[in-house]
Amino acid sequence: MPSSKKKPLPRSLWTALFHPWVWRMAWRDSRSQRLRLVIFSLAIVSGIAALTAIHSLKTSVERGIESEAKSLLGSDLRVSSRKEITPEEVDRLAEMASRVSREISFPSMMRFLPEKGARLMQVRGIEGGYPFYGKVETRPVEAWERLQKEGGVLVEPSILDQFSVAVGDRVELGGIQLEILGVVDKPAPRGSRFSGFAPEAYVNLVDIERSGLLGKNSMAGYQVHLEIPDAPGSRELKGKVLEGFPDTRWRMETPENRRENLGKALDFFQKFLGLIALASLALGAIGVAGAVHAHVTRRIQTVGILRCLGCPGNLAFGVYFAQAIALGLLGALIGAGLGICMQTGLLAALGDKLPVSVRPTPEWLVVGQTTAMGFAVCCGFALLPLMKIREISPAVTLRSGATLKGSFLRALPVYGLLLGLLLMVAYGNDPSWKEAFAMVGGMVVAFLVLVGVARGLMAMSRRVVSVRWPYMIRQGISNLHRPGNQTLLFLLSLGLGTFLLVTILSAGKLLNNRLSLQQSEESPNLYLIDVQPDQVAGVKALLAGEELPVLEATPMVTMRIQSIRGVEVGDLKDVPRWVGRREFRSTYRDQLNFTETLIAGELATERADIEDIVPLSLEEKIARDMKVSIGDEITMDVQGIPIRTKVTSIRRVDWSRFNLNFFMVFPPGVLEEAPGFNVVTTRTPTPEASGDLQRKLAGKFANVTVIDLTQILEMIRDILVKISTGVTIMVGFTVLAGLPILIGTLLNGRDVRLKESVLLRTLGASAKQVRRILVIEYATLGFLTALTGVLLAVAANAALATSVFDASPWPDAMLLFTVFGAVMGISVLGGLALSRGVTSHPPLEILRGGS
Amino acid sequence: MLKDVDLCLKEGETLAIVGPSGSGKTTLLGLCAGLDDASAGSVELDGQAIESLDQDARAALRNRLVGFVFQSFQLIPTLTAIENVLVPLELRGESGQGAEAERLLTEVGLGDRLDHYPLQLSGGEQQRVALARAFIHRPKILFADEPTGNLDSGTSGPIVEMLFRLNREAGTALVLVTHDPALAAKARRVVTMSGGTIVSEEENAIF
Repeated sequence: MPSSKKKPLPRSLWTALFHPWVWRMAWRDSRSQRLRLVIFSLAIVSGIAALTAIHSLKTSVERGIESEAKSLLGSDLRVSSRKEITPEEVDRLAEMASRVSREISFPSMMRFLPEKGARLMQVRGIEGGYPFYGKVETRPVEAWERLQKEGGVLVEPSILDQFSVAVGDRVELGGIQLEILGVVDKPAPRGSRFSGFAPEAYVNLVDIERSGLLGKNSMAGYQVHLEIPDAPGSRELKGKVLEGFPDTRWRMETPENRRENLGKALDFFQKFLGLIALASLALGAIGVAGAVHAHVTRRIQTVGILRCLGCPGNLAFGVYFAQAIALGLLGALIGAGLGICMQTGLLAALGDKLPVSVRPTPEWLVVGQTTAMGFAVCCGFALLPLMKIREISPAVTLRSGATLKGSFLRALPVYGLLLGLLLMVAYGNDPSWKEAFAMVGGMVVAFLVLVGVARGLMAMSRRVVSVRWPYMIRQGISNLHRPGNQTLLFLLSLGLGTFLLVTILSAGKLLNNRLSLQQSEESPNLYLIDVQPDQVAGVKALLAGEELPVLEATPMVTMRIQSIRGVEVGDLKDVPRWVGRREFRSTYRDQLNFTETLIAGELATERADIEDIVPLSLEEKIARDMKVSIGDEITMDVQGIPIRTKVTSIRRVDWSRFNLNFFMVFPPGVLEEAPGFNVVTTRTPTPEASGDLQRKLAGKFANVTVIDLTQILEMIRDILVKISTGVTIMVGFTVLAGLPILIGTLLNGRDVRLKESVLLRTLGASAKQVRRILVIEYATLGFLTALTGVLLAVAANAALATSVFDASPWPDAMLLFTVFGAVMGISVLGGLALSRGVTSHPPLEILRGGS
Repeated sequence: MLKDVDLCLKEGETLAIVGPSGSGKTTLLGLCAGLDDASAGSVELDGQAIESLDQDARAALRNRLVGFVFQSFQLIPTLTAIENVLVPLELRGESGQGAEAERLLTEVGLGDRLDHYPLQLSGGEQQRVALARAFIHRPKILFADEPTGNLDSGTSGPIVEMLFRLNREAGTALVLVTHDPALAAKARRVVTMSGGTIVSEEENAIF
């Protein structure tokens, strides 16, 4: 034998993986199956794409928030109050700042002269150099400066078009007229939530005082903006202010809060996306595991030969692990590419609908991290069938019919690794260990239940089959427990797939239901706020004159909570701080409205006396947050007057309707004398009717604020439609991720059943008989898989609905039946497809092993 | 199940194991080659007790000392003829042996079919590839399990001839499991098994 270069092959797995022979052999071994293997690798694509897209999106938005945090707030500290912040207080606050700025804002009607129309505007009067960070951009450029010096008004550009007015024209605000100085292209950072919907108008603070609107307007907000160089941390800064002003109920915001709040605004959607990412990845990974199992099963003989010829177990394992790595990498790269397209595409599509400006560029670090994580999960799942390679004996070369065997104990570290990886992915989606454990725990429970059902089915099929049964049924059912059966694998892969898919579909539905506004004919689209008690009759008459209905006319009184169960609200440890700070707008009435349901106690219908303990009805969620139940005493501070109340009923409110709803409802007889105002709601058929009414109201009742929900609803609907489309696309994506599972599962059983069926054919069975046997087996498997998967999903849906989405735990029956039918149908079709293979392949070809 | 089997094979010796189906012939062969584990007793290969070795050490021993020819050829379907022949050497970490593999394949009459896949070869051709593979790494002992069991008499004749010629030339010991008395007769010693035990042992006069 001629001399040769001898380099011993490595024996350990890690060194084997770096050896060229392993990769050469992996490449050669893939020859006859390359297309099939590439298709398998696509299993992980959707999972990694979802993971990459979701995390990149999150990072892009966070980066946007981070870079804009200060300019989003415009200052280092914003102090807000519903009550006036006195000049003395402002002076004292100014001591800790290098610059200070005052702002008063409120919604008010603005009339465009001459007689061009009126609409609700969020009026903002700013004095001082605010914003200290970022810049207000106007056209003409000097308009902002002029506003500070001369007074006037700046409006949003669309307003000029809407009312056919131009710079230089005049508007009427309360009792004064102002000149339009220009338009605002980039506004000052906003504080009030309401300003998100009403167009803003900037005026000089002096003009606000001159307008005379402030005195009567209960929706005014007072703000002080502070520039504090070298400001301490958010908590410390707030602590310092609280120390100096212990008796105030100011709301304070720092850039840090702004960052958190914006993050929270997207939190709910992110939770759902996180669920999708985890489920898509798990679905893909299960698909990969099934596909690798099918592949390895076909390679038992090859591994046996290699072992016979002296190949160490790790090296043989290495060959197929190398294939899995290559396929996983291919799938991961394609997935990452797709994820980048989804992220940048979605950002480009959302554009300025996001609360911060985000550039649609790939987040390479996140792409790298998520691809690596997805790749690791893919390889981890592939390890489960690959581990069995090490159990293949060289003796399989001596006898045919060997099956892939595995030891659960040996695979235990792999299961541990997978759990760890999935936990990391879940935690990465939503940094809460509780939720991560709940999600992964749910999957583990589903896994164990499916294993249990599979084992139960096998045991039962072994016992129940009777010789008196017709042959085909006997054969079909016996196939469920015989050697080479696919019961466990089928139930696990397709069952888990069904479970995850239904869970995602249900969660998508829950989210979409939550997002849908369910606007009915009874819902108002116009709110008339700040109607003083002596104006109610006049406003009603005006509406009647316009032939518009008065849907609701409700009194509203502002109040705070003083104590709960006799303990000062500030001293209650387990009650969130905002409960004490919140200003509640409550009403009084003796009946429920059409969006309320009583869930505990009785609504007080008798008139109550302020001197007695007043029965109080609380909304369900606020009662939960306040940790109170029926019978608990709450003392309310109604603008300085304490009123003792006792919770006598709890209501569930459908907040998705746009009618008037309240956290607290009092009985009549208590609040009538308290300072308050009325809200009247109506529904206008057309924008013209709405405009007409608003003009007349501005003329007769200048203080009455009109909120036109038609425009708000349109804006909300526009954003929600986009989000909803995103949800639907993502759900569709998960369905796509489930397909490889199906293919993998069916392929797994194909070879064994094909050979068996051909043998039956050779022995004289008709194609119909073979088909029946297969259909019986697959229908039984499909039935149990669908049933178990769907039932598990019902449980998961209930858990998600109650703990995450705050919705009804009952899933959509239609969805369940559809998926159940689809899984059953697909299983039976899979069986029939196999029987087609039997009739389309010459028996000899299969008997010779050439299948 | 094997019982009271005591067998020894010297270097370069040829041994045929015969007996009815289920008599334990293949089991014995599997144990001798370290493919299976014995529940009791000991198997020594080139002075090494197989049962004391773990699976990887056994594989290394096989790679160093053992060649195989199987009834169903057991070629790796995704490798070409020459690649199949080279596998034992590649597993030893030896490269640059293509010429030797080509020489062996030419010797078994497949010089023009080097790059054919097993499915593109007839049964006889596949077995000849298996023969070339069995000898490429110059094993000390060759185990052949019914090497002509899947071949007709016309094809099996040249295979048998090649098997014994290569065996002679390389000085390899040969263990043959067969049903075929004519094939068994070509071995120096013939062991007959029945019910998992050796019932007779004879030496052929031709040697």
